[in-house]
Amino acid sequence: MTASVTRTAHQVSAQALAWLHVHRECGALPADTTVDLGDPDSVYKPLGETALAASLVLRESAAGSVELRLARDLMDFCWRQFGEGDMLYERLLRYSMMTDPLETYVPFARCGFRHEPLERLLAHTSALRSVRAVEAVPNRGLAVANAARVVGLDQGGRGYDWPTLTRATWLGATPEPWLVDWMTGYFATHTVFHLTDWGRAPTGLPDDIAEYLTTWLPVWIDIWAEIEQWDLVAELMIVGCCLPEPYCAPADWERLARVQHPDGLVPRDGEPVPDDPGLRFKDHQHTAVVATIAGTLAVSRALGGTAGQR
Amino acid sequence: MSPDRSQTVYAASAADLALRALDVLRGVEGTAFVAEHVERADDPKAALAGIRFLGADAFAPHLLADAVFHPDDAAAVTQSFAVFPPPVRTPDPPPAGPAEPWVAAWRDWATAALLARLAGTAGLLAPRPSGAPVLTDRADSAAADADSGSEGFPETGASGASDTDWQHWSVRMGQLSPLALPALDGPVHAAARAAPLALARGATRAVLRRDFPTAARITRWLALLHAEGVRLPLDPVPLVEHLRLHGGGPRLALDVAIARCLLGPEAP
Repeated sequence: MTASVTRTAHQVSAQALAWLHVHRECGALPADTTVDLGDPDSVYKPLGETALAASLVLRESAAGSVELRLARDLMDFCWRQFGEGDMLYERLLRYSMMTDPLETYVPFARCGFRHEPLERLLAHTSALRSVRAVEAVPNRGLAVANAARVVGLDQGGRGYDWPTLTRATWLGATPEPWLVDWMTGYFATHTVFHLTDWGRAPTGLPDDIAEYLTTWLPVWIDIWAEIEQWDLVAELMIVGCCLPEPYCAPADWERLARVQHPDGLVPRDGEPVPDDPGLRFKDHQHTAVVATIAGTLAVSRALGGTAGQR
Repeated sequence: MSPDRSQTVYAASAADLALRALDVLRGVEGTAFVAEHVERADDPKAALAGIRFLGADAFAPHLLADAVFHPDDAAAVTQSFAVFPPPVRTPDPPPAGPAEPWVAAWRDWATAALLARLAGTAGLLAPRPSGAPVLTDRADSAAADADSGSEGFPETGASGASDTDWQHWSVRMGQLSPLALPALDGPVHAAARAAPLALARGATRAVLRRDFPTAARITRWLALLHAEGVRLPLDPVPLVEHLRLHGGGPRLALDVAIARCLLGPEAP
């Protein structure tokens, strides 16, 4: 990885993080929000994703002091939005079989924001055969396993069967690389994120899957960049940072830097970006999260951060 | 006839000849099908141009399906070189010279070399060019070198593109796909053997872009390498079948049929 890649990756992620911070109030939960969440994907899930990005900036500690301050600030903001954990606790009390309270709690637990009643409740529900047997898309099973690992719910005989979960995914089949669609591309990226805990443990990838990704990742980045699917491209660039031998091509970073707006917004695709601040945030918040994580991990890996050293 | 119009007519004639070759390759009766292609044509000059367009692939049935090479076929191919003589000097390989005439010169050589082999004649009707498509595979060499922190890699241009990366290289190899026949060998074949990964990436990229003709041309090299026992990063058998079922047109059908022959009994 060259110094120029590190510089570009840092610049993209620092600007994306600053954009998330400046516009954070656009992502605040509406005042009348209850734990029932008619549309969990509208604000609740994006808030958790902002917290995820901030938590990884803090975990990697590869950014400058300004970025670390912004990340801490965003963690505080999101934690307050979730009632310092009370909302997640109440949502789990009401919906015992849902996994989102656990998954949303992960970035906070990662950074030392703990909520003891929630953890006691999680320890109970996550051990239930009923909850463990909930039917879900296979990569979601890995999401829960990784969440439990980060929070520490997988101890004392409560471990997850990682090999079986892994082989149930699309990526686990090391499928024909020439037959993948947009949604499956996202499934593949998330399989990697959860197996490696977002690049913390690259050795969490089985050898054959790491080799498969090393072989085909450049192709997938190429074809989705050609049709300007920047959100997926940036997710695939995170995957590159999660490999035992990171794949981080200078041209990919220069391209992402070119599409980033001067204010730090990273467009999700090649469509025109609206002027309305609320819409801009709603449409492109996820890509800012992804770009922040991608740049953070690229810089961290360039500085020598690997599983073996942590 | 305008140059554009004649190119279209020549390409149509080549497609017609590709269908004839395909029939023979599949075991449908056909003797001296190259000569017949000229004899039955309304425009014999266009038919001769069609032979040169299709090039070495016209010989695929003789190389891969035991079709008998008829002296009339040899005469037709020889006549095509007389009517459309190749340049006396072979063009310089890129980047010293432009790619298009150099690719054409390689294809002419392949046609001439197979004609000489099948007709048992000495001397080639087209000289052999030098060089092979150059692959720098910068994408691969950009993989982590985390400790160095150096500026050691050349910066890519504003577009991030280079015509020697695996994307462009594999497309260029596809343009040279008539050379991907078992009776031929040379620096282009050596380049293919040295880069099964770039070929596999190129074929994968072309399928995902739904550019099936390009995918089929690159896949022929993969099939040839497979026949030679080279280990590939992907299984070519389902890839060839996918192209057979998704692609269209006589040219692609012939490329796929040749690839299937190269794969042998493994192909469904």
